[in-house]
Amino acid sequence: MKISVDRTRCEGYGFCEEKAPTLLRLDSDDELEILSEEVGDDQQDRARLAVRSCPVAALRLEE
Amino acid sequence: MLPPDGTVVVVGASIAGITAVEELTARGHTGPIVLVEAEVSAPYAKPPLSKAVLSGAAEPESASIPLAESARIRRVRGDAAVRLDVAGSTVGLASGEPLPFDGLVIATGARARTVADLGGNTSGLEERVLRTLDDARRLRDELRTASAIVIVGAGVLGMELASVAASMGIAVTVLSNEAPLLSQCGPFVSALVEREARAHGVELVTDPSGVTLVERGGRLAARLGSTVYEGDLVVSAVGDRPNIEWLAGSGLVCLPGVVVDSRCRVTDRIVAAGDVAAFGSPPRRNPHWSNALDQARTAVAALLNGDEAPEYLARPYFWSDQFSLALKMGGHTPFLGEPDVLAGSLDDLDALVQWRRDGVPYGALAVNRRIAISKLHLAAGNPTANII
Repeated sequence: MKISVDRTRCEGYGFCEEKAPTLLRLDSDDELEILSEEVGDDQQDRARLAVRSCPVAALRLEE
Repeated sequence: MLPPDGTVVVVGASIAGITAVEELTARGHTGPIVLVEAEVSAPYAKPPLSKAVLSGAAEPESASIPLAESARIRRVRGDAAVRLDVAGSTVGLASGEPLPFDGLVIATGARARTVADLGGNTSGLEERVLRTLDDARRLRDELRTASAIVIVGAGVLGMELASVAASMGIAVTVLSNEAPLLSQCGPFVSALVEREARAHGVELVTDPSGVTLVERGGRLAARLGSTVYEGDLVVSAVGDRPNIEWLAGSGLVCLPGVVVDSRCRVTDRIVAAGDVAAFGSPPRRNPHWSNALDQARTAVAALLNGDEAPEYLARPYFWSDQFSLALKMGGHTPFLGEPDVLAGSLDDLDALVQWRRDGVPYGALAVNRRIAISKLHLAAGNPTANII
């Protein structure tokens, strides 16, 4: 499973960072940083929660 | 408490219901999950509907919040819950099917309130509102050919509608019983939005006597004071109402919404989250995106772990796009008096500002600034999340 961000949509709300802090982080300029593009088996539920939480649907998961 | 292999019925498939389903899976619940979706549309996020979807900048499909397919999750689509039998632990569906549960998540949300609900629609005509994806599609199409619209209500939604319509070159009149966003956000934010609205050509008419909807030439028109306002379209944006009618007769306390305890529970097997839930003392609904997320997670943890689950911590946060302003707000509204500028400049409309009471921060506003939600919570004096 892979996680990706559409940078034209992301507005830096940061809900995803709260849901999956090991995968996603807002850097010091509040730009979204993907810490790990590959989502490990034990992180998949967290990744889904992060993707659902985005109010502008900027995150995508590829199974 | 819920047995790990028990059946959980989740009623409502907006962000609170979807989050509850995901959270059940993430927290290791192994039993069957039944998701009751009243709408036939796939689940979607509501915040973009009054913004990019309405303006046409984004396709309606972009708002979808698809749920991972799982053999354990049964999805009941296009069927609504119509009753709850607490003693018998069963939800009744409109189709007649009974859904027995070991655990129940009430996430039926809210719907648009209308002027008729407030007793002010004498026209006999149906009102236009913006709440669902279908509402947004229809309104988007109508805005494409409209030259003048009348919006009833100057709250967050009414003013977002005004922003989008004004940006499309439509003549916009907003009728309200008070200044824009005044009771929700306080005088500072209200004045900021009002200034922008007028600068973008919006006609704002405020009169505490309230709006009455009337019929003019077979179409809806709005009367405020002694003037009747007509347009290609009259849209009502006068708040929301919780979807609680299906709980009549259940014995649950549903005023002003489903009243929950500090862990979003109604009983140890029934929880509620999102726009339908009323929390705190006195209980009040807090119909915002982040609240739905936090409550759904708290509720599921309480369903699975009882009193060992952390209590819900209110961390008010919401955002709105208003004309040239992208506003993000945290803390306890309304914000009163002049704020301190923590960063940037209000003159440049690029700032982070903070309100304090007795030296203690209770509110923050970011104007046209990217800011992580955690930083805004901090500036707003909100507590740190207690649930991971």
